[in-house]
Amino acid sequence: MNTATGKKISTIVITALLFVLAAITVIPFIWMLVSSFAPNSEIVKITGGIFPTPSTLDNYTGIQEKFNFMRLFGNSLFVATIKTVLIIYFSAVLGYVFSKMHFRGRNVLFGAVLSTMMLPWAVTIIPQYDMMVQFGWLDTYRSLIIPGLINGFGVFMFRQSIGGISDEIIEAAKLDGASDSRIFHRIVLPMSRNSIAALAIFVFLWNWEDYLWPFLMITDDDKQLLSVGLKMFSGQYGTDYGGLFAATSIAIIPVIIVYMLFQKQFIAGIATGSGK
Amino acid sequence: MKLAKTCAAIAATVLIATAATGCGTAGASGVVDTNADKGLAVLGDHVTYDPNHLVNDGQPIEIGYWSWGDASTDPVIGMLHEYEKIHPNVTVKISQVAWSDYWVKTPLSLKGNKNAPVLFNVHNSQDALLRPHMEAYDIDTADLEADYTNVDLHVVDGKIMYIDSVINTGNIYYNKTLWAEAGLTEDDIPATWDEFVEVAKKLTKFDGNKMIQSGFNMNGDGRYDGLWQGLNYQRGALMFSKDGTVANYDCEATKENLEFLRDLYETDKVSSVKFGDNSEQSFGNGQSAMIYAWGALQGTLETKYPDIDYGVFPTPTFSDDVPFAYDRYNGESTPGINVHQSEEQRAVAQDFIRFLLAGDDYVRSAVKLQNSFPGKKSLQDDSEILSNPVMAAIKPRLDRLIWPGPVPSTLESSPKIAFQNVIQNGQDIDTAVATAQAQIETDMKGSDFVSLESKYAHIDEAQ
Amino acid sequence: MHNTTLQRIFSMRNIAVVALVGYFAVFMAYPIIKAFAGSMHNWNPLTDTYQWVGFENYAQVLTDSLFWKSIWNTAVYSFFSVAFRVIVGLALALLLTSKLVKAKSALRGLFYMPTITPLVAVSFVWMWMYDPQFGMIDKVTGLDIGWLNDSHWAMPAVIIMTIWKDFGYATVLYMAGIMSLPTDVYEAASLDGAGKWQTFWKITLPLLRPTTLLIVITSLITYLQAYIQILVMTGGGPGTDTYTISYLIYDQAFTKYNFGVASAMSVILFVLTGVLTLLMFKASGDKLEESR
Repeated sequence: MNTATGKKISTIVITALLFVLAAITVIPFIWMLVSSFAPNSEIVKITGGIFPTPSTLDNYTGIQEKFNFMRLFGNSLFVATIKTVLIIYFSAVLGYVFSKMHFRGRNVLFGAVLSTMMLPWAVTIIPQYDMMVQFGWLDTYRSLIIPGLINGFGVFMFRQSIGGISDEIIEAAKLDGASDSRIFHRIVLPMSRNSIAALAIFVFLWNWEDYLWPFLMITDDDKQLLSVGLKMFSGQYGTDYGGLFAATSIAIIPVIIVYMLFQKQFIAGIATGSGK
Repeated sequence: MKLAKTCAAIAATVLIATAATGCGTAGASGVVDTNADKGLAVLGDHVTYDPNHLVNDGQPIEIGYWSWGDASTDPVIGMLHEYEKIHPNVTVKISQVAWSDYWVKTPLSLKGNKNAPVLFNVHNSQDALLRPHMEAYDIDTADLEADYTNVDLHVVDGKIMYIDSVINTGNIYYNKTLWAEAGLTEDDIPATWDEFVEVAKKLTKFDGNKMIQSGFNMNGDGRYDGLWQGLNYQRGALMFSKDGTVANYDCEATKENLEFLRDLYETDKVSSVKFGDNSEQSFGNGQSAMIYAWGALQGTLETKYPDIDYGVFPTPTFSDDVPFAYDRYNGESTPGINVHQSEEQRAVAQDFIRFLLAGDDYVRSAVKLQNSFPGKKSLQDDSEILSNPVMAAIKPRLDRLIWPGPVPSTLESSPKIAFQNVIQNGQDIDTAVATAQAQIETDMKGSDFVSLESKYAHIDEAQ
Repeated sequence: MHNTTLQRIFSMRNIAVVALVGYFAVFMAYPIIKAFAGSMHNWNPLTDTYQWVGFENYAQVLTDSLFWKSIWNTAVYSFFSVAFRVIVGLALALLLTSKLVKAKSALRGLFYMPTITPLVAVSFVWMWMYDPQFGMIDKVTGLDIGWLNDSHWAMPAVIIMTIWKDFGYATVLYMAGIMSLPTDVYEAASLDGAGKWQTFWKITLPLLRPTTLLIVITSLITYLQAYIQILVMTGGGPGTDTYTISYLIYDQAFTKYNFGVASAMSVILFVLTGVLTLLMFKASGDKLEESR
C-alpha cells in the first residue's frame, strides 16, 4: 500500500518534471511558430516582449505566391517515401550480411561503407555532379534516388541491432532447411521492427530536409522539391525571417506525422512481446 | 530467390515511377509572330535598338533567365516581360535561385546542363567563375562607351561580357529622430571624421555603464569589411601592389584606420562590442544613430523596419582636402549570355541585350530597385534620380570613386576577422593585420586576379 | 545437386556482396578517388582548373595555424556534443520507457521537436535567443553575457544549441534499443534481488553497448563535419574562435573555390575520422573477426 502510494507520487513528480523540461525544450520551437505569424518588422523589434506579437497570415499566403507549394510538397513526399522504403530495405539486407554472415574482406567492405560518411560533401559533391551529367540523369528523380541508396548510417544501425539477435534462432531455422533469404524475410526482418521504425524516422527526415543535392540536380520547376523552394527565403541581402519560419513550420508537418506513426512501433514491440 | 524477386519488383517500381515523372514538358508555348513592322520608335543614342523586326524568324521560342533576385530587386525581370510584349513569339522562363547557392549551381549548370538558361544574372565578384561560360556582347565597344561610364574596365581581350548598369558605394545612414533628440540639425552633418566623432558622441547614451544607444555602430557583417577599403583609399593607400597582384592590407594606412576605429570603441565610446552583432538590425530598431552602409540598406529598411525615419550623407574624410578617392565603388552587372546554349537562343539573347541597353527604362528601374547611381551617362543629371538622397550623395564624388576590379572575397573576409580580433578579442593591431595579410596571400595563391586600380583616373596621386 | 550449387552461387550473401561492390564502384568510389586526387592539384572544377602541385596543398594546410586552431575547436565541439548527446539521450530514453512515467507519447513528441526542425531555421532562432541586448536567455536568467560575440562563450553557446537540437536522435535510438532488450534477463535479475542502479550498470548498459557504439561513432562523424550552425550563428567568429575544420573546408571550397586545399583538408579529416572510428570499435570490444 505504502510503496504503491510512493510509486504514484514519484510517477506524478517525475512526469511533471519531464513536462517542465519538455516545455523548456520546445520554447525555441514555439518562438519560431509564433514568429511565423508576425511581420519581419515585429520579429526583429527589440522593445517588445519575449515573443513577437502574432498578427498576420502574410508569411503563409506569401509561400504559395513564391512557388507552387502543393506541387513541390507532393514531389518531396514522393521522393522521400520511395527513398525511405528502399534505404531501409537495403540497410537491413546489408546489416544482416555484415552481422551474421562470414566472408573474406567483410570488415574492409563494412569499413568502406562507413567511410562514405567520413568525407565532407564539399569535396565529393562536384565529382558526383559530373557523374550525373555523364549519365544524363540531370532533371530526373533517378539522380535523387539511386546515388543515395546505400546509407552508411542505416547499414551500421542494422549491423548493430541484427547482431543482437541470437545465433541459435538462425541456426535452428537453417537446420529446418530455410534459405538465407527466407530467414532474413521471415525471422530477421520482423524482429527488427524497432530498428526499422527508428531508421524510418531518420531517413524520412533527412531526405525531406535534403537540399543541396536536389537543388543541383533539378532545374525543372515542376520537378523541384520543397526543401529547395524554401531556400528562396534567404536572399543576397539577408533573410526573410517570417517567410522562412512559416515555410519551416509547414514543412515539418509530414515529419511529425511520420514520427508519430513509427514511434508507436516501439510500443507495439513490447505489446507483441518480441523480446529476444 | 525471394530477395532477388523483391529487389526486382522494387527496382521496377522505381523505374516506372521515375519514367512517369521523368518526362518534362518541353517546347515553347508562344505564338508565331508575323508582324515585323510594329510601328515602334527606335531606342537609344549610340547603342540603338529597332524593335520593328522579327526575332527567331517569328517562330515560338523559350528563353531562360536565372537570377538570385525577384521582380522587386532585379530590374532585368521587368524588362524581359516588356520584351515579350514586343516579340510575342518569345516566352521567358525566369528561375530564382538563392544567392549563396547561385554561385554553385550556375557555373556547374552552364558547363554541363542543356537546361541551363541562355541569360543569367551576373555579379562581378564571381567574374572568374562565369567568364569561361559567357558570350561577348555583339555591340560596338565605342557605342557602349559613348552611352555608359567605366565600360573600358570591362573590356578583356577586346570583348565585353557585361558592363555596369548602375554603381554604388558606401554612405553614412543616420536616424533623423535620434538626431533631433540630440539637438542636432542638418547643419551638423559632419564633413571630416573628427567632426563625425563629436556628433557620434552626442548620439550615444548610457544607462550607468551599459550602452543603450550607439552613436556609430560598426558591429557585424557589411561594416568594416567594406569601410576599410574606403578609409585606405582616403589616405591614398592602394588595395594592391603597383603591379596589381599582391594584396596591400598590411600597411600603415590600415593600422592607422584600425586605431581610429578601436578608439571609437574604447576611447570615444560611441560603439560597443556588447551592442549586438548586427548593426543593421540595431539601426533599424532605432538603437544605433549612424551606420556605414551601401545602397542595399534602403531595401532592408523598407521591408523590415518601415518606421525608421532616416537620412543619408556622404562618408566623411580625414581632412577638408579632396582625397585620393572617397571610397571604392561597385557596379551591378548587366546579364550574361550562356555561350553553350543553342545558336537560336543566343541570337534572341543578343537581341534582348541590345534592347536592354539602348533604352533608358532598364537603368532607370535599376536605380530604383537597387538604390544605385546610373551607369548610363544620359541619366546622370536626371533631376528625378538626383532627388534620392543616396544619388545626391554619390553624384559629386563620382569622379573620385575607384573600382579595384572583381576582387577575391578574401579581401573582405580576412580583414573582417582582423577587425574582430582587434575589437572583440583585444589582439594587438600589428599581429591582427599581419595574420590577415598572410591569410589573403595564402588564399590568393594560384589566383590570376590583377587589380584594375591602375586604370583609375587619379592613380598618379596614390602613395 | 545442380540446384544446390546454383543456390550456393546465387545465395543472398553473394548477391548482396556483389551488388554492394558494384554499386560502390560506380557511385561511391569515383567521388572519393577524385577528392584524393584533387588534394594534389590546384583544383577549381567551376573553371576547369586542374594543375598538379604534388603535396603543396598539404604543406600549406599543415603549416597553417588557423587549420590547427580549427582542429582544436572541432575536437572541443565534437567531444562535448557527443558526450552530452549520449548522456541526455540515454537518460531521456530510460525515462520515456519507464513505467514510472505517464503520457509518454506526448512527451516523446515534445522532446523530438528540436530534432525535426531544420537546422538553418533553428540556428536563426538561437541567434536571437543569445542576443545580448534583447535575447531571451540573458533576459530570463539575468546574465550579462555576449554569448556569440564573446570569445569565451561563443563555442559553448554553439555546443549548447547543438545538444538541444540533436539529443532526440540518441533518444530514439536508445528507445529502440531498450525496447528490444530481452525481458527474461531482467526477471532473473529482480529474482536475484538486484537494485535499480545495479541492474542499470550491470545489465542495461552492457546490453545497450551496440547502440551506444552506433550513436558515438555516427555522432562523431556528424560533428566532425558540422558547419551550418557555425555559418549561420557566428561565421567562425569572433575572430576565428569558432572556426571548425568543416567550416574551413566549406569556406575553402565554396567561398574561395580552392578545391585542392579543401580536398587536402578533407583527406586529413577523413584519415582522422577513420582512425578514431577504428579505435572506438576496438575499445568497445566489437568483434571484428571475419572469415570462418
